Amino acid sequence: MTSVATAGDTFSVFGTTATLVVSEPAAVQVARTVADTELAAVDQACSRFRTDSELSRLNAADGRPVAVSSLFAEILGVALRAARLTDGDVDPTCGGPLADIGYDRDFAVLAAAGDTGPHRAGPHRRVPGWRSVQLDQSHGQARLRAGAQLDLGATAKAWAADRCATMIAARTGSGVLVSLGGDIAVAGTPPDAGWRIRVTDDHAASQNAPGQTVTIASGGLATSSTTVRTWAMGGRQMHHIINPATGEPASSCWRTVSVAAGSCVDANTASTAAIVRSGAALSWLQETGLPARLVRHDGSVEITAGWPADGAQADRA
Amino acid sequence: MRRDDVRFAMAARDDGMRKISRFTWRAGAVGAACSALIAVAFGHSVAAHEHGHGSQPSQGIIVPAQPPAPAQGAGQVVSGAS
Repeated sequence: MTSVATAGDTFSVFGTTATLVVSEPAAVQVARTVADTELAAVDQACSRFRTDSELSRLNAADGRPVAVSSLFAEILGVALRAARLTDGDVDPTCGGPLADIGYDRDFAVLAAAGDTGPHRAGPHRRVPGWRSVQLDQSHGQARLRAGAQLDLGATAKAWAADRCATMIAARTGSGVLVSLGGDIAVAGTPPDAGWRIRVTDDHAASQNAPGQTVTIASGGLATSSTTVRTWAMGGRQMHHIINPATGEPASSCWRTVSVAAGSCVDANTASTAAIVRSGAALSWLQETGLPARLVRHDGSVEITAGWPADGAQADRA
Repeated sequence: MRRDDVRFAMAARDDGMRKISRFTWRAGAVGAACSALIAVAFGHSVAAHEHGHGSQPSQGIIVPAQPPAPAQGAGQVVSGAS
C-alpha cells in the first residue's frame, strides 16, 4: 500500500456526479481523459434518452435483430447476467414500465417538471422479462421481443465505474477510486488506510451525512435507495427501482441498501435486488456472503456478512 | 406334409417376413424423423438459452476479497443512490 496524498476530480456525467480519486496526484489528468473517453462511449451505446444510441435503435427495432458494437454487447451481457443471478429481480426490460410512470426523459428534466400528470389508468405494462432478449455476442447481434424496451440503468453505470477504474489503474499505475453517482469501483494499489467511503442515502449528500464511514481496498461498493431519483405522478411519489413482478416502483421495507462486492456491478446488482426482495433480502445477502448495510424507513439498520457494526446502528433521515 | 401345403407355408412365411421388414423400415424412418425433430427443438432451445445469457461467465455474484472496514469521520467520497 502507498501513503502518498490523493488527488481528485469531480464532474457531471449520465445526469449525475462523477468523482475520480487517484493515489498518485500526477495521474489525475490522465485519469480524467481516460474516464471522459470511456464514459462518452458508454453513453453513446446505452443512453435511453439519446435517439442515436444503440439502445434506442434496439428499442425501436420492433422485434428485428440489430447489429450491435462489442461494447454494447458486453454491457447487455452484463445486464442479462445480473438478471440471471437475481432470478429476474434486476431486469433490463423495465424500460416500458419506467416510461409509463413518467421516467421517459432525462432525470434533470423530469425533476424540474414537477408532477408529470395523471397516473396511467388500467393495468400496467408488464415487464417482458430478460428472457425476451437475445444476444449473440460472437456475431455482434441483439434482438428484443417486439414491444419490449430496455433500460440498462441498473448495471451500465456500475459497469462503467469498474471499467474506468481498471483502465485508469492500468494506464497510470496509480491506485484509483471511481464514483459514478455513488456507484464506486476501486483498482490498483489503495492508500494505506484504504479508500474511505461515507455510506448514506443520497450520493449528493455531504461527506458527513447521516450514515457510516467505511474503507475498502478492492472491488466495489454500491448503494440503492427508494428515497433518491423520485418524482411525482398524479399525486403519487415514484422512484426508479422497478419490481419486475409488478411493473411498478418496488415497495420495499428498506429505504436504502449498500453492498460491497468483488466489483461495482456486482455490488449494484445485489443492492438493487435487495430493494426489490424487501424482507427476503436479509437472508439472501447473508447466504451469498455479501457484506451489506440495510436501512429501514425508520432508520434502523441491519448488517450482513462482515459489514462493520455502526456505533449508532440507526440512520435518522 | 403335402407339397402344396409346403408351398403355401413358405409363401405365408415370405409374406410375413416382408410385412415385418416393411414395418421395421417404417418404424425406423418414423424414429429417425422424431429424433431429428427432437434434435432441432432441443438445439433451438439451447441456442436461445445461450443467446439469452450472452457469454458472461456463469459464476455467481462475487464477494469482496475483504469486507469493508470501519472508519471514523468523513469519507473521501459518498456512496448513496443517484
